Amino acid sequence: MPSAPPTIGDFSILPVSIPPLPSFPRNAVHYLYVRRNAPKMPTAADARSLFVTNVPVDSTEAHLRALFASLVGAGRFESAAFEDERKYAHSQSQSPIDAAQPAHAARLLKAHGKKRKREDEEAERAREEAAARLPSIWTRPLRRSGSTAVVLLADEKSVEQVLKAIGKANKTKKYPTWGGDNLPGGRAPPLGSLWLKSHNRLSFPDKKTLQASVDAFSALFARREQEAAEIAKRLRNEPDEDGFVTVTRGGRAAPASRNEAEEARRKMVEKQEKKKEELTNFYRFQLRERKKEEQAELLKRFDDDRKKLAAMRVKRGKFVPEA
Amino acid sequence: MDSAPAKRRKLDHTQDGADAALESAASTGISRSRAFVLEADELLDSVRLDYAVALDGADDLLHRIKGAVEGIKARDPLPVADAAAKLEKKHKITVPFPDPRPRENSNYKVAFAKPAQFNVVGSYVSKTMIKSQKRHAVDMLIVLPEEILQEKDYLDLRYFYKRAYYLAVVASALRKEFGSEAHLSFENLNGNPLCPVLNIQPKGPKEDNKALLDYRIRIIPCAPDGFFPKTKLHLGATLVRKGGDVATNAAVVEPTPFYNSTLVAESSFLPYLKVLKQAEKRCAAFKNACILGRIWLQQRGFGGDVAQGGFGHFEWAVLLALLLQGGESKGHAALSASLSATQLFKALVQFLSVTNFAEKPCVFGPGDAHLEAHLESGPVLYDSARQLNIAFKMGLWSASSLHQHAKWTRSLLANSTADQFNPTFIMKTDVLSHSFDLVARLNHPDGAAKGASSDFQGQTWNLGSKVYRVLNRALRDKEMGERARLIHIQIPASPSWSLADKPKTTGKAPLEIGILFDPANMSRTVDRGPSAGASAEEKEECEKFRRFWGDKAELRRFEGDAIRETLLWTSTTSFDLCEEILRYILGLHLRVGHLHDEIIVYGNSLPALLSLKPADTALFNAAKKALGTFERDIRALDDLPLRVRQIAPVCPELRLASVKPPVLGPSRSAPQPFECVISFEASGKWPESLAAIQRTKIAFLLMIGSLLEASKPGEIKALVGLEDARFETENLAFLDVLYESGPAFRLRIHSDLEEVLLERQVKDKTAEQYLRQRATTMLATFRRLYTNLPLHNQYISTCATRFPALAPTIRLVKHWFNAHKLSYHFTDEFIELAVLNVFLSPYPWDAPSSPSTGFTRTLLFLAHWDWRSEPLIVDTGGDMPAADQASIATRLEAWRKIDPNMNHTVLFAATVQEPSGVAWTTHDGQAKPSKVVATRMTALAKSASRLIREAGVELNCKRLFVPALAEYDVLIHLNSKVAKSALKTYASIDPADEADAATESVGRSKFKNLDERTGQDPLPLARHPADLLLAQLSAAYDGPLVFFRGSADDNTIGAIWNPQIQRRAFRINLPASYKPAVAGQKRAKDEAEDGEQDELVEVNREAILAEIARIGGDLVEKIDVKGA
Repeated sequence: MPSAPPTIGDFSILPVSIPPLPSFPRNAVHYLYVRRNAPKMPTAADARSLFVTNVPVDSTEAHLRALFASLVGAGRFESAAFEDERKYAHSQSQSPIDAAQPAHAARLLKAHGKKRKREDEEAERAREEAAARLPSIWTRPLRRSGSTAVVLLADEKSVEQVLKAIGKANKTKKYPTWGGDNLPGGRAPPLGSLWLKSHNRLSFPDKKTLQASVDAFSALFARREQEAAEIAKRLRNEPDEDGFVTVTRGGRAAPASRNEAEEARRKMVEKQEKKKEELTNFYRFQLRERKKEEQAELLKRFDDDRKKLAAMRVKRGKFVPEA
Repeated sequence: MDSAPAKRRKLDHTQDGADAALESAASTGISRSRAFVLEADELLDSVRLDYAVALDGADDLLHRIKGAVEGIKARDPLPVADAAAKLEKKHKITVPFPDPRPRENSNYKVAFAKPAQFNVVGSYVSKTMIKSQKRHAVDMLIVLPEEILQEKDYLDLRYFYKRAYYLAVVASALRKEFGSEAHLSFENLNGNPLCPVLNIQPKGPKEDNKALLDYRIRIIPCAPDGFFPKTKLHLGATLVRKGGDVATNAAVVEPTPFYNSTLVAESSFLPYLKVLKQAEKRCAAFKNACILGRIWLQQRGFGGDVAQGGFGHFEWAVLLALLLQGGESKGHAALSASLSATQLFKALVQFLSVTNFAEKPCVFGPGDAHLEAHLESGPVLYDSARQLNIAFKMGLWSASSLHQHAKWTRSLLANSTADQFNPTFIMKTDVLSHSFDLVARLNHPDGAAKGASSDFQGQTWNLGSKVYRVLNRALRDKEMGERARLIHIQIPASPSWSLADKPKTTGKAPLEIGILFDPANMSRTVDRGPSAGASAEEKEECEKFRRFWGDKAELRRFEGDAIRETLLWTSTTSFDLCEEILRYILGLHLRVGHLHDEIIVYGNSLPALLSLKPADTALFNAAKKALGTFERDIRALDDLPLRVRQIAPVCPELRLASVKPPVLGPSRSAPQPFECVISFEASGKWPESLAAIQRTKIAFLLMIGSLLEASKPGEIKALVGLEDARFETENLAFLDVLYESGPAFRLRIHSDLEEVLLERQVKDKTAEQYLRQRATTMLATFRRLYTNLPLHNQYISTCATRFPALAPTIRLVKHWFNAHKLSYHFTDEFIELAVLNVFLSPYPWDAPSSPSTGFTRTLLFLAHWDWRSEPLIVDTGGDMPAADQASIATRLEAWRKIDPNMNHTVLFAATVQEPSGVAWTTHDGQAKPSKVVATRMTALAKSASRLIREAGVELNCKRLFVPALAEYDVLIHLNSKVAKSALKTYASIDPADEADAATESVGRSKFKNLDERTGQDPLPLARHPADLLLAQLSAAYDGPLVFFRGSADDNTIGAIWNPQIQRRAFRINLPASYKPAVAGQKRAKDEAEDGEQDELVEVNREAILAEIARIGGDLVEKIDVKGA
C-alpha cells in the first residue's frame, strides 16, 4: 500500500482499514476527509464540530462513535448529522407538521403569523410531530456514496486531539478499523437479508399505530386550518402598515372553492370558443386566408420531407436494399 | 396604415414562386405518398449501375464471342449418339442433354451451321440492372439456323437434343478462344432442366478496378421466331409421346404443359424483346418501374429461377408492358403511359394483389376456355398474342405467395401513417424464420416422386408440387376453416456444372416447407368435415373426405343432431397440431415421414424454452376472474363514504403479459399481490393539501381493509403497507388484500384532486425551482400510475385477445430482456409496446401468428429502430390521425434539440393515450433506460438478428439467451438460499430473533407445533428483497456503477464502472467514494510548481465493493471482479 498524503486541500485524510468479508476477501482502505466545520451560516456548535466527507455508505452514528473512540478514546463523541438528514431537516415537506399546513394557510402565516419561539411551544411541536409521523420502515438508512456528515464532539479540545490523532495514524500507518469488532454489538442493526426482512416487516405496521398517527395528523391539520381561517378573518378588516387591506377568501358570500372557480373559468373559455367558432368561415376573406394557409402548410410539409430525405442521405446505407 | 394597393400587389407577386413549388409538390403525387416518391427516387439513384464503368469490356467480349461462334465450321448431320461421342472424345465436352438422354440407337441427326442471328437481350440492353443484384448476367442469344431444324422437332425432346448439341459445339469453340481468360460452365436457364446455357465468367484482373462488376455472360441458344407451329404447342398438348421406359408408359396421354411452354418461350425471346422495347419507348417511366419491381421481388426472394418462384424481373417487365398495352376488358390499356415510376409500381402491386394466377387464369387478349383446366398443373398468366403462359415456371405455391406479398404491400401502401418505404424496398423478407411459423425440412428418399408427372420440371419440383397439393388440401380447407394462410415450398436451386461433367441435378437436397398459421384456426383440435346425410351428393362428399384423410376420419354426432365426418387431433398447441397433421397427411399420401429424420420440423424451440403452455391462458384468466370477485366484494361494501367508480388492474399478470403465469391458489410462500388502482366518484371532500390527501388515503385504506375483513370474516385478510416514500406529499400507503383461497391484491387510491394540486404546483411560477421540479416528477409518477397504466392494461388485454400470439410473444421478449440483464432498466410497459408495435404495424408481413415469428420480428424491429431520430408510435386503436403522429415526431425533435446528449430522454414511445412519449421511458425524471443501456439493447438485438438470419432454421435458440457475463466489470452473486429465505417474513416475529433461533439452537424449532411460525401466513412482500437491495445499491451508487439484472430470480447482478467518473480534482461533494490518487499526486506536485493546486483523487473501487459486501451481508455470496 503506497503511502497516501496526509492532507488534501484543507482536509486531513483519515484512512480507515476495512476488514475483509467472506464474500469479498480483500483488505480495503477507505478514506475519510476531515476538517473543522465552517458552514456558510455559522452556528454556536461550530467550534466543537468536525466536517467529514466521503463517509461510507453504511455509516451510522454508532460507527462514527466507535471510530472516534478508537482515535481519541471514549467520551469525546457527542453526535453525528449526516448529509441526507440535514437536508431533510431543511426541506419543509418532510416534517409532517409542516406538511399538515394547508397551502393557503402557510402563505398567510408566513406573511402575518406570529413567530413562535417560546420553548414550551417548541417542545409541544416536537411532541405533535412525533405523534403524526408515520412509523419508519427501515432499521437503518444507507448514505449516498461520497456524502458528508458533521460530527459534534464534546468540546473544542477534542477537535484538536482528533486532528492530531489523524496525523499520527497517518504516520504510524496504524489505521483505525471500520465496524467489525470495534463496534459494540447490537448498536447498529445488521444489514444483509435481515435488514431487508425487517424492512418488509416494518412496511406493514400495526393498524392501531397507523390509525393513531393518521388521527394525530388529522387533528393537527384541522387545527391548522382553523387557525388559518381565523387569521384570514382577522386580516379581512386589518390594514397592514401601508394601509392596505389584504383581500382574503371568505367574504360575505360563502368561500368559493378553487375547484369551482376553475370550473367557471373553463365554462367561460368554452363559451368564448363557441362564439369564435360561429364566426369562422363567415366572411370570404376568412375562407381565402384559410386556403392560403393550407397551401403554405402543404409546401412546408413538402419541404420537410425533402429535408428529412437529405438527413437520411447523410446517414448512409439507408437507401441500399438489404442483402 | 399605408397599405397601398401597389404594395399588396407586390406581395402577391412573390407568391408566384411559391405557386410553382406548389405545382411541383402536387405533381409528385398527393400529399401522403410524397415522402414515398422522394425516397423511391433516391433509391433509384443509389442502385443504378454506371454501365460504362461497371460493365466495362462487356461489349468487346460479346464481339469476340460473336466472332468466335461465326468462325465455327459447319458440321454435317450425324446421328445424335455418334455426334455426342465424337465431341466428348475430341473436346472433352459432355453434351448437356436433358433428362432422359437420347437413346443410343436413336437415328435423328444433329448438325451445326452458322447461327441465324445473334442478339443481346435482357436487363443488360434495357439498362435495368441494379447494384444489389445477386449475379449480374449479360444474356446473348444465338438463334439456331433453320436448316438444322425440322418442324417435327417439337416432339419428344428432339429440339432440345439438337439445342444441347449446338451449345456444346459453341462451348468447345469458345473454350478454345478464351483459354484461361474466362471460366466456362453449363447451367440451366432459370433452373429449367430442358434448357442448358453456357456461362462465361471473365477472369479479369478485378483488383485494380473496384467499380467493375463480377458479371458473366450467358450464351442462350434459341429457336427462330415462329418456327414451330404454335397451335400445336398449346398447353393441353401431349408432345412427349414415346415413353422411353415402362414407368412413363402410363403417362402417355398426359399433357406436358411445362415442356410446351418452354418450347414456346424458346422461340419468343425476340418477340418479347420487341414488346419491352416498345413499352420503353412509349412510357418514360417504364425502366424505373422495372427497377423498383426488381428490388421489390428480390427483397421477397422472388426471381426468374424455378427455385425462386419463377417470377422475376423479366416476368414483371412483361406483365407491366402488357398492362400498358391492353389488359382492360375492351382491349384498352389498363395503365396510362404517362404514369410515374412509383405509380406504375403501385399499380402493378395492386394488380398482383387482386389477381391470383393460381386460382383464376389471367389472360391478355382473347381468352381461351381450356385455360381454366390448366390450373390443375400450375398458375396461368397467358399472353394470347404470343401464346405463352408467362407463369409457366411458377408453382401454385409461388403464385399464391406472390399474391400474398402483393396484398401485404398494398395494405402497407394504403396506410398513410406507416413508414412505407423501408418495408417495401429495404427490408429483406425471405428469411424463413421471420416469415413462417413452422418450417419443415423434407429429406425425400429416392423415388418419392417417381412417376408423379411426365412433365419436365425435375424430380424435386414434382415432389414439391405434390406436397403442396396435399398440404393445401389438408390445411387450407375452406369448409373447415383455413388453418394456414400461406404454404411455401422452397426448392433447392439447380447448380452449374463444368463442361466435362454430366448435367447436375438438384439431387437429394432437402425440400423446405414453410407454413404461416392462421392463429384463430390452427389451434382447432376437432375438424368438422361434411355432414353424413342420405343424399348422393353428401355421400360423395363424405367419400371424398374419407379418401383424403384415411383412417383418421370418423363419424361423430354434434349438437343439433348433425352427424359429421370428423377429425380428432391429439396435440394442444397450434404448432404441435400443425406438425401432427403434416406428418400424418404426408405419410398417408406420399409415404414419407414415417422415419423421424425424413421430416424435421423447426420453429418451436423458442416457446419450448419458456415452456409456454396453453394452460397458462387459463391461469391468466383465473387471475382476471379473481379480480372480478375482488371488485364485487369492494362494491358490496355499503359503508364507504364515496361510491367506487372503478377498480383498474395495473400489473402485467392481469394483462397476460408476465413472464411467469400468475400463481393462484393457496401456497406456502409469501403472496404476490396483483396491483390495482381504485378510483371513486368525484368529491369535494378531499382536503386541499397534498400531504393531507395522502393521509386521508391511509385512513381510507384502513377503513376499506377493516370493512372487507368484517364483510367476509376468515376469508379475507387486509394489511396496510407503507411505501418507501421520501416526501409526505407522495403516495404513502397501499392496501394488501389477501384471500384465504390464494389471490392477493394491492390497492392504491386515486384522488383527482391530487392531480389538480400537482398541476397547480408545476405551473406556480412563484415557487422555487426545485419544488416545481419535484412537482413535475411527482405529477409524471401520478399520471403513470393512475391514468396511463390502467389504459395500458386495457389495450394490451384487448390486443391480446385480438392477436393470440401477442401474449406469448411479449413473454418471450421479456424473457430475452431478462436473460441479457436488461430488464432492470426497462419498464414492462415499454417492452410490451415494442412488441405490440410489431403486431400493429407488421409490414412487410402480416401480424405475427406465432410467438416465434413475433419474437424474431421484434428483435428485428429493435435492431433496426433508430431511436435517436425516430419515435416509436404505437397506434393502439388503429385510428390515430396523421397530424397527431406528426406532432409526436415534432416533440421528439424538440427533445433532441433541448437535450442533444440524451441525458433525460432517450427512448420515445408514444401511443394515442399517452402522446407525451416518455411515460414508460423515464422514471423519477431520469431516462430509463439511459443512453448506454439503450445502445446495448440495440447492439444485442442486432447480433441476435444476425444470428437468426445466418443460422437459419437450424438455429439453437438457447444461443439467443446466453448472457455475456464476461462483459461486466463486477459480478455480484447472490446466495440463492438466503434470497429465498428472505422472501418470507412474519408479522409477529422479529427477523433478528428468527435468525437467532436458527443459529443458536434447534431447540425451539425442534417441535413443529411449538414453532411460532407454524400456522402463520407470511406477510406479503412490499417489494422483492433482491429488487430492494438493487434499488438501494443504485440509489447509493448512482454515479460510479451501472447495475444490470434480469428477473426477480436472477441471482447474478452485473455492474459496470461508469467511464465518465474517473480521476478528478478533489472537492467536497464527490459523486462516489474516492481515494487520493497516488500516481496523480506526483503530477499534481508538478502542477503545483506551475502555480496550480490541483489535488487529484480516483474512485476507491475496492472500498466501494467492500461496502457492497457489507450491505449485502449474508445475501451476497461472492463478488467477482473482472480480471482478478
